[in-house]
Amino acid sequence: MKELVTYLVSGIALGSSFALIGSGFVVVHRVTRVVNFAQGSIAVVGGMLSATLLGGRLPHGVAEPAAVAICGVVGLTVGFLALGRRGTPPLISLIVTLGVSMLISAAIIWLWGQDPVSPPGLDGSATLLGATVERQRLLVVGATVLAFAALALFFSRSYVGKALTASASNPFAARMVGIDVRRMGLLAFALAGMLGGLAGVLVAPTNAVSFYSDLPLALSGFAAAVFGGLVSPLRTLVGGLGLGIAGQLTAGYLNGSYQTEVALLLMLVIMIARSSTFVHEEAK
Amino acid sequence: MIRRIPPKAYLTALAGAAALVAPLVMNDLTFLMRMVLAAIVVTGLSLLMGYAGQASLGHGAFVAAGALTVALGTTRMGLPPLAVLLAAPFVAGAFALVVGPPLLRLRGHYLAFGTLALLLIVQTAMSAFDALGGAFGISGIPPFGVGNSIFVGQLPYVYLALGCLGLVLVLTHRIVHSRFGRGVRAFAGSETAAGSAGVPVMRSKVAIFAISGMYAGLAGALSAFFTPYVSSDSFPAVESFTYVIMAVVGGLGTVWGGVAGAVLVSTLLQVLNTVSSQPGLPPTTGPIMQYATYGALLVLALLFMPRGVVPTLDGAFDRLAARRRAGEPA
Repeated sequence: MKELVTYLVSGIALGSSFALIGSGFVVVHRVTRVVNFAQGSIAVVGGMLSATLLGGRLPHGVAEPAAVAICGVVGLTVGFLALGRRGTPPLISLIVTLGVSMLISAAIIWLWGQDPVSPPGLDGSATLLGATVERQRLLVVGATVLAFAALALFFSRSYVGKALTASASNPFAARMVGIDVRRMGLLAFALAGMLGGLAGVLVAPTNAVSFYSDLPLALSGFAAAVFGGLVSPLRTLVGGLGLGIAGQLTAGYLNGSYQTEVALLLMLVIMIARSSTFVHEEAK
Repeated sequence: MIRRIPPKAYLTALAGAAALVAPLVMNDLTFLMRMVLAAIVVTGLSLLMGYAGQASLGHGAFVAAGALTVALGTTRMGLPPLAVLLAAPFVAGAFALVVGPPLLRLRGHYLAFGTLALLLIVQTAMSAFDALGGAFGISGIPPFGVGNSIFVGQLPYVYLALGCLGLVLVLTHRIVHSRFGRGVRAFAGSETAAGSAGVPVMRSKVAIFAISGMYAGLAGALSAFFTPYVSSDSFPAVESFTYVIMAVVGGLGTVWGGVAGAVLVSTLLQVLNTVSSQPGLPPTTGPIMQYATYGALLVLALLFMPRGVVPTLDGAFDRLAARRRAGEPA
């Protein structure tokens, strides 16, 4: 029983980070129909930056938000390239972001080398329902809940959030009422950059990140976002948690090395099962 | 009146002649071999991406299927090399036929990520199951040969690969200009319109997926004989991304785009590799240059030459020819 609780709690912590990266995919795709492949790379940059800033004697609580803010700028830059010229089809934009993620990998190796980096996080562990959990993992869960709540409020209550949603649901009509759809797209990329950076900052203390981590991070985030059809933040959260728990249960009861594959298989099954509902989104 | 040979036929002949001479004058045959193999894979990928409008980020999965056929066929089953080489494309094609119908229900982004997931699952399967090589991979693949004549050195492999590339190009040309090829091009434009005009959309999609899988399997088989070692690390995701880069740079939906992209990107990387391995530079220069080149190529090619090298040059060539004709006295 105690084992099960441990797996569940660590699964929720893992799933929270999936969901955070997934939310970045959702924010960009909602507004621009583009899937931002660089989302994983941005998370790596976030983790690396927070390590460097903390090493440069910035205190906790200052270094992390600074890293997240810089990731927002990186996200914005990705957006400029990906949205490129008007009329670039979304699939071509996906390949552009693949190129950008490779550029970011080059920058990561240049600035931080090829070795994994892990910034200091919260030390120690807490006991929860009889299971021992690292406090950093609890922080990940808490921050994810806050981020998703903020995201929900932003999209439903704020003027800019509503403008973002309007650009997503009908770009033409949004333009008619004076919303600058392109600028909204860039804003979405910046927001996604911050979410990706936040994920990286939170994950890196427990799972060291290197330039090589971008692909697993991006895939697990995408897998979570698939549950939400790439548009719903809430279902992305549920999907991420589900994937995280499934992964940890597999790791615990079957074999630790297959948790990524379980997530990938689940993603494939969900995508194929729901493919008919995707058709109308992607139809030309 | 002398019958004019179309100018583009000269180019084809020139490319063929260059291909025949290159292995004799080049020192680095490994580089040439890798380039030719990439050209075979990318020709199929270009067919899939350009004509069928479907992207695959995990084409390495089919390269792996072909390479595994050779590795397992020769070392575990003791089959003759020629038989496994001929079987490899069909095994890879059959694999594509099995995974194709569910995967191709996805489109756009979902298909791109789905194929990438397929590649990662294939990698894991290869390292997890000893029957597929396991942690140590499969070594001891015998040299290629027919009957008593056995390949010695790298040169015959390069010519064999070039022959296969020629075959693949002829086949691609025939496919593109067939009734089936016209149907495929039609659904790349609009599936609904093509479907209502009587094109069996799903079946054609799976068929083109299988054909590009066969090409990849052929390249994988050749690489298994050449290396001669196959493991789960032989097919990294970056290599599959490279195929996409080559296809995009060369020009999607052209018969020659795959070759042009493979030659351009491989050559550029080789030059950069030489530069970055100069003494005095830090060891990280290599990977930095590689990633930066890949990234910059993709972004610049897509934003400034979205149709790729071959169609852009082709257009310029046609305009030039048209101008010359206009200048001639009637």
